[in-house]
Amino acid sequence: MSERLVPVVCPYCGVGCRLYVRSVDGYPVGIEYANDIPNISNEFGKLCPKGNAVVEYLLAKDRLKKPLKATEQGKFVEISWSEAIKEIAERLKAYAKDDPNQLMFFGSARTFNEPNYLIQKLARMLGTNNVDHCARLCHAPTVSGLKAVFGAGAMTNTYKDIEEANVIFIIGHNYAETHPVGFRYVLKAKERGAKVIVADPRFTRTAWFADIYLQHYPGSDIALINGLIHVIIKEKLYDERFVRERCVGFDEVVSAVEKFTPEFVEKVTGVPAELIVEAARTFATAGKGVITWAMGLTQHTHGHDNVRLLGTLSAICGYQGKEGAGCAPMRGQNNVQGACDMAALPNVFPGYQAVTDPEKRKFFEEFWGVELSGEVGLTTIEAAYAADKGKVKAYYVMGENPVISEANANHVMHTLEKLEFLVVQDIVPTPTIEFADIVLPAAAMLENDGSITNTERRVQWSFQAAKPPGEARPDWWIISEIGKAIGFDKTGSRGFVYGDAADVLREINACTPQYRGITPERLKENLAGIHWPCPSEDHPGTRVLYKEKFLTPDGKAHLAAIPEYRGPVEMPDEEYPFLLTTHRYVGMYHTVTMTMRSDALKKRWPEPLAEIHPEDAEKLGIKSGDWIKIETRRGTYPSKAKVTRTVKKGVIAVPWHWGANVLTNDALDPVAKIPETKACACRIVKITEEDAKRLIEKLPSVIPKLDVVRG
Amino acid sequence: MVRKTVFIDFSKCIECRACEVACEREHNGMSFISVFEWQEMAAMALNCRHCEKAPCVEVCPTNALYRDEDGAVLLAPQKCIGCLMCGIVCPFGIPELDLINKVMGKCDLCAHRRAEGKLPACVETCPTDALLYGEFNEIIRKRREKFTEKTIELAKTGENIQLTGV
Ligand code: SF4
Ligand code: SF4
Ligand code: SF4
Repeated sequence: MSERLVPVVCPYCGVGCRLYVRSVDGYPVGIEYANDIPNISNEFGKLCPKGNAVVEYLLAKDRLKKPLKATEQGKFVEISWSEAIKEIAERLKAYAKDDPNQLMFFGSARTFNEPNYLIQKLARMLGTNNVDHCARLCHAPTVSGLKAVFGAGAMTNTYKDIEEANVIFIIGHNYAETHPVGFRYVLKAKERGAKVIVADPRFTRTAWFADIYLQHYPGSDIALINGLIHVIIKEKLYDERFVRERCVGFDEVVSAVEKFTPEFVEKVTGVPAELIVEAARTFATAGKGVITWAMGLTQHTHGHDNVRLLGTLSAICGYQGKEGAGCAPMRGQNNVQGACDMAALPNVFPGYQAVTDPEKRKFFEEFWGVELSGEVGLTTIEAAYAADKGKVKAYYVMGENPVISEANANHVMHTLEKLEFLVVQDIVPTPTIEFADIVLPAAAMLENDGSITNTERRVQWSFQAAKPPGEARPDWWIISEIGKAIGFDKTGSRGFVYGDAADVLREINACTPQYRGITPERLKENLAGIHWPCPSEDHPGTRVLYKEKFLTPDGKAHLAAIPEYRGPVEMPDEEYPFLLTTHRYVGMYHTVTMTMRSDALKKRWPEPLAEIHPEDAEKLGIKSGDWIKIETRRGTYPSKAKVTRTVKKGVIAVPWHWGANVLTNDALDPVAKIPETKACACRIVKITEEDAKRLIEKLPSVIPKLDVVRG
Repeated sequence: MVRKTVFIDFSKCIECRACEVACEREHNGMSFISVFEWQEMAAMALNCRHCEKAPCVEVCPTNALYRDEDGAVLLAPQKCIGCLMCGIVCPFGIPELDLINKVMGKCDLCAHRRAEGKLPACVETCPTDALLYGEFNEIIRKRREKFTEKTIELAKTGENIQLTGV
C-alpha cells in the first residue's frame, strides 16, 4: 500500500486554490490543506466547501468509463477507443474536405491549458476558426472591454493588490459566495481600514460587508457607472496627471457623462442620489482602489460597454499600473483565463494574436505547417444559429454542457438535435450527452496533470493524484490521438505526437509570447506558479500590468465615452411584469455535473430557490416553500420560492445551476457576443406540487441516467 | 489545564459552510459544526464549546465522555450506551445520535489531526478566519491588543476606521 499526498489545483473556481489529495494506490481517500506552500493564492491552504469535497465527485458511480456510440437518441453501445477515434477522425476529415466551416469545436474552461491548446490547433489545422468555449457565456465582455481600454483582456493585478487596496468596488458580483477564498482578501483589506462599495440588485452576503451598498436594478449598470464618473469629474476628484499623461479620450468622457447627474441616475437605477455621490467620493479619494466584477455585470447586451466604463473609472482615478490598485474580473471556472490564453476563441491564435493579422497567421502557418484561415470563426451562440440553418453540421464538445449552460436552452437543444454529428468528451453523463453520436470518457482534472491559469494570471501545475476509472483518458491524449488519426502525424509542432502534457506546454512556450518562460520544469518546481507575462525563463513573472504603458497601439488607455444609457433588451411589461435575474450558490458549481455528485454538497444545496420580495409574494399569495412557475417568452421553469428582502421589489432571482437557462434571453452583446443571461422579463404564478413535478419532467434532467446496451 | 476550543467571530462568517463539509469529511459523514442564518444574511457557526463545567461529562452514566490533555471533551464510543442524556443536558444540543451505530457523536476538536500537530479541520479551512482555535484568555488578549492598536491609529489619523473583525 502506498499512500501519497499529491499537490493539485482545485478543479472548481478561478481562485485556483492549492490542496493535497491523499491517495492510496492511486485511489483518492481524502485531502490535506496546503498550509505549507508559501505565496499560493489560497493563503494557509484555505478552501471553500467545494474544495473540501473534491474527492467525492471523482468517486461518482456513474463516471464514464468506455467510449460509447449512439444507437438512437439517448441510447448507447460501448465501443473501443480505436473504433471511436477512427470514426471521429474520418467524419471530421470528410466535413473539413467539403467545407471546414461546417465544423464547430468547444474548448473547456474546466480542463488544463494543454488540451485547450490542442483543440484549437486541431480546429485550425483542419481549416476553420470555429472554436470557442464557455468563457463566451461569462467573461467575453471582460476580454473585449478591457482590451478596448487597456489593450489586453486579463486581470491587471493580483489578489495581493486587493489586500493592499484602500477601496474595493464590487459590482455585479457576489464575491463572498462565488469565490469565498478570494473574498478573504477583501476582508483583510477591510480589516486594514479599506472601504468596500458593493453594487448589486440583490442584497448578497457580499453586500452585508459593504460600507456603501448600491442596490440598482438589473441591467442599469451603464447609468450607475456613468453617474459615478459624473460626480468624480464634476468634483475634480480624478487623477489629472494620470489622465493627461496616460489616457486619451477624456474630453469625450466629460461630455458623455454630462447628463448622468446623481438625480437622473437615481431615477434610472433606483439608487438614492446621495449614495451615488458618497460612493464616487469614497472611491476616487482613496489613493489606491480595485474594481472587481463578474457575471452580474458582463451577462448583458451591453456587457462590453459596462466593462469599458469600469476600465475608464479605474483609469481616471489613476488606479492602474500600481500596486494595491487595478481591475480584477473574477473568473468563474478554474481555467477560463487559460482557455482564453490558449485561444479556444474564434478570433485569435494563442496569446491573443489576431487570426486576421497576416503576419501572425504567417508565423502559425510556418509553425503548424498548414495553410490557415484568416476569417474569424463562430462564437457559441452564433454556432447554434448556424447549426439551426444547417450551415454547421458537426460539433466537437470537450468538457462542456451547453444544454444547461447556454442562454435560451430550449433553442440549444433544438439545434443539437439538428446536428449530423456530435462528439462529447466528458467525465460523467451530462444532458448534452443525450444528443451525442459518440461519447468519449475523459479523465477528471485530478486524474491527470497539466498547467492551469487562475483568474490572476497565475499559471500553476497540477499533478496526477488518482487513477482514471476504466478506460477514461486525459483530454490531451484524446485530442492528440484524433489529430494523428486525421493524418497530422509529424513530430514537433507540425503534428500531434506528444509523450505527455509537458510536451504540449513546451510547444505553447514556443508560440505564446506571454508563456514563453513558463516551462513545465519551472512550474513543477515552483508550486505557487508564475504570473504571465513571463517573457523568458529567468523572468520572475509579472504582478502588476501596465506599469509604464498600456498594450494599446499608442500605449495609452482609451477611455470610453458612452452617452446613451441602455437597459436590458427585454423589460418588464404587462404580460411579463417581473424582471428575472440569475445567480449561484456557494456550494454548487456550473451545471452541477460535479457538485451534485458529492453528497456533502448535494445535501446542503439540494435545489434551486427563487427569491422574491415579500410585497410581491403577498400580492401573489406566495409563501416560502411554495411552488411557483416562472415563465418567459422562451420557456417555463418550476421552482420553490423563498420570500426575502434581499431582492428588490419587482425582481425574481433564481440560481441557474439546475437548468434555469430555459428561461433566459439569448439576445447578444454586439461586440462580445455574450447573451443577456442576467436580465429578462418574466411572469410567475403559484402552482401545486403535482404541476411542478409535471413541469420538471419536461426539463432536461441535470443528472441523466445513461442507457448503455452492451454491443 | 489550558482549555482550548474553537471560537467563532460571526462578524466574518460568510455562511459558506466549508467548515461543515470539512468536519463531515473528517468524521465519516457526520458534521459537528453547523452554520445558522440567524437573521436575513447574518450567519453564525455553532459548535461544541468544550465547556469548563461540561454538563455532558457530568451527566454521562458510563463515563463515556472525558477530557483529553488539551481540555477537549471527547466521547469514547465503546463506552457509550446511546442513552441521549448528554444531548439533552447540553445547552446547545451538541451531542448527536449516530443512527447507524446507535452511539453519540460530538466534536472532538479533530483529535486525530491534533495528534499530528494540525489544527481542527474547520479552523484550517475557514476562508475568512471566522473560526479561531485557541485558549479563551489568549484569544481575548489578542483581540484587545488589536483593538487598542486600531484605536491608537484611529486617534492618530482621525479617520473613521472599521473595527469589523478585530
Ligand atoms: S475558492 Fe474556488 S478554487 Fe478555492 S476551494 Fe473554493 S472552488 Fe476551489
Ligand atoms: S457537548 Fe455541549 S455540554 Fe458538552 S462540552 Fe460541548 S457544548 Fe459543552
Ligand atoms: S467556514 Fe468560516 S466562513 Fe464558512 S461557514 Fe464556516 S465559519 Fe463561516
